[in-house]
Amino acid sequence: MPVEKVTQVSQTKPWYGALSSKYGEALLKTPEPGLYGQYTYGIAGERFFREIKDNAKITGAKCQKCNLIYVPPRIYCERCFEGLEEWCEIENKGEIHTYTIGWVDLDGSRLEEPVILALVKFDGVYGGIVHKVEEISADNVKIGMKVSAVFKEKREGSILDIKYFKPI
Amino acid sequence: MGMRKVAIVGAGMTKFMRRAHETGKELSWQAAKIALDSCELTLDDIGCVVMGTAPDAFDNIHMKGDYLGDGAGAWRKPYIRGFVGGGTGVFVADQAWYHVASGLFDTCLVVAEEKMSSAMPHPQGNFITCWDMFTESPLGPSLLWFFAWEMNRYMHAHGITEREIAMVSVKNKKNAMDHPAAQLPAEITVEDVLNSEVMAWPVKRLDVSPTSDGAVALVYAAEHVAKRITDKPVWIEGVGWCLDTIYVGQRDLYYPKYVEYAARQAYDMAGIKEPSKEIDIAEPYDPFDYKELHNAEGLLLCGKGEAPKLLADGVTQRTGRQPWCPSGGALGVGNAIAATGLMKVAELFWQLRGEAGKRQVPGRPKKGVAQAWGDEMQVGSVIVLGV
Repeated sequence: MPVEKVTQVSQTKPWYGALSSKYGEALLKTPEPGLYGQYTYGIAGERFFREIKDNAKITGAKCQKCNLIYVPPRIYCERCFEGLEEWCEIENKGEIHTYTIGWVDLDGSRLEEPVILALVKFDGVYGGIVHKVEEISADNVKIGMKVSAVFKEKREGSILDIKYFKPI
Repeated sequence: MGMRKVAIVGAGMTKFMRRAHETGKELSWQAAKIALDSCELTLDDIGCVVMGTAPDAFDNIHMKGDYLGDGAGAWRKPYIRGFVGGGTGVFVADQAWYHVASGLFDTCLVVAEEKMSSAMPHPQGNFITCWDMFTESPLGPSLLWFFAWEMNRYMHAHGITEREIAMVSVKNKKNAMDHPAAQLPAEITVEDVLNSEVMAWPVKRLDVSPTSDGAVALVYAAEHVAKRITDKPVWIEGVGWCLDTIYVGQRDLYYPKYVEYAARQAYDMAGIKEPSKEIDIAEPYDPFDYKELHNAEGLLLCGKGEAPKLLADGVTQRTGRQPWCPSGGALGVGNAIAATGLMKVAELFWQLRGEAGKRQVPGRPKKGVAQAWGDEMQVGSVIVLGV
């Protein structure tokens, strides 16, 4: 039983008799061509993504006082508010903390094939990495499954330098 | 703590719908005007205005609070926009309280608005600018993933099934049949929910609230003013809000600790020791069906993982011992984000005054708690009302 007549906002029509809003539609096409954001990686981000790019390694930052290892790393501890200076390498062996099987794209349309998206946590680490899981069917993925990151050969300093996580 | 008593004396709301013809300003004005009329006040009687509206991205209008100001009645008045994403609707109810409780103002108009239908092709895509630009956004995450991760973790931690959770959607959409402003009232079955299309497993179409346009407004007054306005003031007895870490990997997804902290703040203020017994009605935030259960546990209305049992036993039905979302909630009335949070406070106002019409909870309820949740899924805002 369809509860909603229209589930896609883009399919909703203007009100009957209302002016059609060409100008309004144009305004919604933001960002304007030529306008974009240029973000800096920041100090911790530079460290994290440079290690991924140069060495295909995952880096954390350790707070001695709170005994926490942050992944992704930070230059401060959000709990005790002290600066963090100790970087550490995280073993490329994580665990699926939770996952979803995505069937819908960002615009609300259906995907042809589902994607497995997981929050991967590492032993003794505060935090984790959000990424795709491949080399396993959606029916077989489980919480608690051990996984490792598969890196691209040619890397540029992006989270997409990790192609996906695979079961180990 | 030296604060003045504050009452809610008036409330109003627009119909919630998929796409309103009215602009956000016009929706705000409609709700605000109804609220003022309901207590026979005019804008001249209002000392300050607090506005709630969630992501600017939905309307593609930045500084949206300023844009909406005139519609919310802010012309030449002290005005502020509160914003904590999905937690906004109850947060502004808290924020308006301290404007009056502090002694700065005798009256306050609080308005919450959302017009999600401007965002194309789908409002959930606009969240792409909310995630971390390096570690999350490049993956093209949808908001649904984050909910699905949490729902999966909640189910996993307690051995809860999709079937148990689906009952929330059935209950709330049915409750909304009696709400004149509801967008998605429906009589559906658990099977309908389980058979609806999978969006991001375990989340299915009917586990999710719709996107909505709408506005809600309340009028607050200090005790000495409230007594002149109405014989039926509804008192704000407790407020609380809390933010957890923004990193999804650093939170306990199976349990909203930050909601518990917000709730404890509000209950302590209200002198409530056993919320599971002392609260007559609850309006936990239910943008997804599992969230009603998850949030109710954070609100300490039951133990961790126990919410599905209360639901199954009928305790949370409108005629049960402690109704949850008698309004119909976000799942039934609609999820005009900030407006839905304030709609929950308005529902308590109407219920505690005995003015909820066909939705009226029997037994003359005396205490209610409303809660909103959201932002990057790490904020809880809570308010306790009483008569």
